[in-house]
Order: sequence, then C-alpha cells, then structure tokens
Amino acid sequence: MGWGEWISESKRYIIGTLVLGGLLALVPFAINFDMYYLLILSTALLYGVYVVAWNIIGGYAGQLDLAAFAYIGLGGIVAAELFTIYGVTPWVGMFVGAGVAMILAAAIGYPTFRFGIKDVWYALMSAALVVILNNIFHLPELLGSLDHYLPSKYGWMYLRFPTYENLYWFVTVTLVVAMLINLKISHSKTGYYLRAIREDELAAEALGIDVRKYKLLALMMYAGILGFMGYVSIVIQGTYSYHTFDSPNSITIAIMGIIGGLGSIAGAFTSAVTLKIIGEYLRSTLGASIPGIHLLIYGLLLIIVGIFKPDGLAGVWVSLKKKFVKKNVRGEKK
Amino acid sequence: MIDPSLVANNVIDGVLMGLLYSLVALGLALVFGVMDIINFAHGDFVMIAAYLSWLLAMAFWLDPSIIAVITVPVFFLIGVAVYKLVIEPILGAEPLIQIAVTVGLGYVFQNVALGIWKAEPKSFPNPWFNFSIDLGPVTLTVAKLMAAAISLISLYLVHYLLTNTKFGLAIRATSANREVAPLMGINVRKVYAITFGLGIALTALGASLYMSWGQTNPYLGQSFSLLSWVIVAMGGLGGVVGVLYSGLIVGILEALGTTFFTASARLAVVYIAFFLLLWFRPRGLFARR
Repeated sequence: MGWGEWISESKRYIIGTLVLGGLLALVPFAINFDMYYLLILSTALLYGVYVVAWNIIGGYAGQLDLAAFAYIGLGGIVAAELFTIYGVTPWVGMFVGAGVAMILAAAIGYPTFRFGIKDVWYALMSAALVVILNNIFHLPELLGSLDHYLPSKYGWMYLRFPTYENLYWFVTVTLVVAMLINLKISHSKTGYYLRAIREDELAAEALGIDVRKYKLLALMMYAGILGFMGYVSIVIQGTYSYHTFDSPNSITIAIMGIIGGLGSIAGAFTSAVTLKIIGEYLRSTLGASIPGIHLLIYGLLLIIVGIFKPDGLAGVWVSLKKKFVKKNVRGEKK
Repeated sequence: MIDPSLVANNVIDGVLMGLLYSLVALGLALVFGVMDIINFAHGDFVMIAAYLSWLLAMAFWLDPSIIAVITVPVFFLIGVAVYKLVIEPILGAEPLIQIAVTVGLGYVFQNVALGIWKAEPKSFPNPWFNFSIDLGPVTLTVAKLMAAAISLISLYLVHYLLTNTKFGLAIRATSANREVAPLMGINVRKVYAITFGLGIALTALGASLYMSWGQTNPYLGQSFSLLSWVIVAMGGLGGVVGVLYSGLIVGILEALGTTFFTASARLAVVYIAFFLLLWFRPRGLFARR
C-alpha cells in the first residue's frame, strides 16, 4: 500500500468518525428529546467510550483487562469528592481524576509488565484490582457503607442538568474524541508495536520493541480515558459509593470489546452501543420477571463468539464483505 | 489492643475455611495443570452446586452437607457435559479465547441463577451441625470443622488417585506430555473429560459442605473463582500438597484481614498478597520446577 493511499485511508476514517458524531448529535431531535430514551442512549454511548478505550489495552495490546471500573470508579470518585467537598468544578476534577487513574495504572502496570505477567495472570490481577479498591473504599475512613450524593447544583459548570440532552451531547463529543485517539494510535508506530506485541510478544521483543513501555503506555491511555469519564458515570448513576468499583460491569466491558472484535474501533463502538441498548430494552421489558436476562444473552454471545468467531463482529463484517466483493478483495490481497 | 482469643478464634476459622478453599481450588488446579484450560467460571460451578444443595436440602429436609451424596455425582456428569459442549472446542486455543468463553459461561450461570432464584441470599433454615462448642478460650463451629475434615480427606483421596492408581498415572502422563501420552495408549480426550468432571465434582462437594452453614447468592462464585486462582497461583505446579498449603495461607490471610481491618476488607488483604506474589514469586511458593 502506498504512502498516499495511507493518508487518504486514514482521512477517510477521520471523516467517517466525524460524520458518525454529527449524526449521533442529531438523534435527540429525532426522538423528540424523550428523557427516557436520552438516558438510555447516553448510557449506551458512555459504554461506547469505555469499550473504545478498552480496545487500546485489550484490542491492540492484547491484554485482557478486567479492571475498567477500578479506573472509572477512582477517576469518578476523585472528581466527585473534589466537587462535593472542595467545590472544585468537575471540568478540573475530571482531569485530576484521569490523572489519578493513570497514576494507579502506572503503579500497577509498571511492576506487572516489568515481571512479565500476562494472559490469565494479568486478567486475574486486573479483576482483583477492582475488588481491592472496592474493599478499601468500603473502609469507614474513606466512603464507608453509605451512598454519597453530588451537591444539587446544575448547569454546564457542573455537567449536571435537569434533562439529559446536554449530557448526551457531551458523551457524544467524548466518544468522537476517544475514537479519534484510537484511530491515531491505530495508524501510528505505537499501534503497530502494540499489535506486534499482541501477536507474538517474544518476536516483538526480538525485533527491538520495548514491550514493557508500550504495554504500559496502552494501559495508561485506557485508564486515563476511563478515569476522565468516571464523573459522567456518577452523574448518570446519581450517587457514588464503594459499589462504584463494580466487578461484574468491568467484565461486561471486556465482553463487549471481545464481541466487537479485538482491535476494531467500529466493532467496539457497534458492539457496546447495540448490546447496551438491547440490554436496557430487555431490562425494562423483562427485567422484573427475569432479572439478568440481558447479561445472560451477553454471556451466550460471548461463548458463541469465542468458539465460532474469535474475530468478533469485525470478523463477521470482514467475511461478509469478502463474500460480496470477492474479486476485489482477492485482487488486492494477492 | 486486639483480644488474643479473638485472633485465635479468627485464625482457627481461617484454617477451617482454608481447607475448604483448598478443596475447591484443587478442582481448578487439576483442570489448569492437566488440560491447560483457563476456567474463569470455576467458582460459578460452586454457586450453582450451592443452589442445588439448598434446593434438595429443602426438599428432603436434610442438612446440605448430606446432599453432597447427590450433588457430587450430578456435578461430575455436568462437568463432563460442559467439557464436551464448551471446553473441548477451545482446547489449545489462545488464553484470551479461553478466558472469554469461560467468563461467558460464568455469566450464563450467574444470570440463570439470578433469573430463577432472584438476588436475595438463600440458606438452609434447619442446619444440623451449625452449632459451636467451647474449648476454653476458643469456640469451634462443628459444621466448619466437619467441612474442613472432609476437605482434608478428599484432598488426600485425590492425591492418592493421582499418585497410586493407573488412572492417576494416565492423568499425570497427559499433563506431562499430551503428544506422547496417546502413543502410550492413553485416550487423552477421555482423560480430559474425566479430569474436568472430577474438577467440577470437587466444587460440588465444597458447595454442599459450605451450605451447611453458609448462604448462597448468584454472585457467590466470583469470590470462589478469584480465591481459587490465587491458591493455584501460590501453589504453582506443586500438586495437591501445594494447593493444600496455599489454601491454608489464603484462609489465614483472610482471617487476619478480618481481625486487623474489617470483615469487608478481608479480600483486599488476600488480593494484595496475590499481587506481591505474582510480582516477586511468579512461579508460586511451592513450585516443583
């Protein structure tokens, strides 16, 4: 592939992402600013941000991270506490939260990657991290057993609104930014290094890639995005407590990422948003009689994807494309 | 100052729980060590078995620990069935796929349980052995003592099976080299199916014993899964003995966490120890190699 083509391809993706963002921004008009749907869509797009962020560590670097809500919780609680106790605007607090989440990621990631911990042990450590934070924040000296509420102040200054459309737009913008960061990584040296690490760590190391450094970089970018969004998560929940360090939902994010297809931005976005919307729909219709039906479906999908289609949704898309434009794909590739 | 008899009580409790954890973790260690299968749903088998023990205990009005007579063989068969349906297709797959599929399996179990039994915890209202005896400064719960004793006996039996029987030899041979084992006339698929069944049967035994004083909810499996993995990480490839010691260490750490911090922070103590272990002794404390 030529240099010129690469630029046009990456430009095409950037334009595509911006168009998607523009279309998403118009959705509130299409649904007539219905509060309930806006809440569901805001949550769905928020999960879109999470899963697109997860794609950096899980998709590109191939580390099965199950700690999403460790970083979301920590970043969110830092911003929320700064707001509640010191009256600091979340616009500052969210960046502080992101910074704290990145520091945690570095503190955990540095020794972990330094000692070559990967695969199952990495997944277990990340799952344990959520439980550790959950237990620590449960101590009476920190959050205790109570639910904490944000002060009842509203407006752009606090990112809290009586209705949901402004929050929805804010999440849309962050989603576009998260996708652009992913695109940037995907087409940069870092992205190629990370994919090389995912495919074969030893070979990557032999080629002179600083495996530890790039894995840590991926983990910190992921943690930073999640930590930044933590406050939005708390705004949507309404309260925060030690429960904000949520193990099952951390796993859900990894599940969505895998179903979407490792390393595929479009797959991550589509899988997160579709699964979350279907999940919320099922929860509102069948949730009272069969709680957890949506999670049951996620689980089944994950088993099916794992056994039959390890490339996820992105893989399905590629094979469909191959089926319909067989000649082109063949002509190009070989 | 912390009351020494409280510490003693908690540590004894930790030892008893540790033996039960060893029993559950042994199933995981077998599956991981022999088949190289990463099972993230291990604890969820404990959870489902705990519900089954509770259901049957309610139906027959017998103590759940007695129900183990039914749950253990049933879960052996469930284990073989799950092996055929879900595990066999991912044998030799990359770790991420194995983790994904078994996480999915755990999610299915949890949410089936949530759908059927809802979120409120279930326990058997008329346990036979859930009383304590006073031994001077310490108090012992008979049900836990019994569970610990049965766990210890079962660990010994599995150790005996692995070291002194022909089938144990087949398991060890398969574990050592799965390419050569079939050349020696070992049916590897059969060994795998039985190993997985055995691993799952051990979770059922642990669950039935646990239900003679404990209570279950759809998320019971998550802590059992993580704790079992911590024990396997500590035990390394040190066989049954490594699992036994590691289970005891985890039980005691948990007890110390409860004593010196709060009950809600006890898992943090165990998992922080797990982090340190992975960083500084990645091959475990009792590794043979």
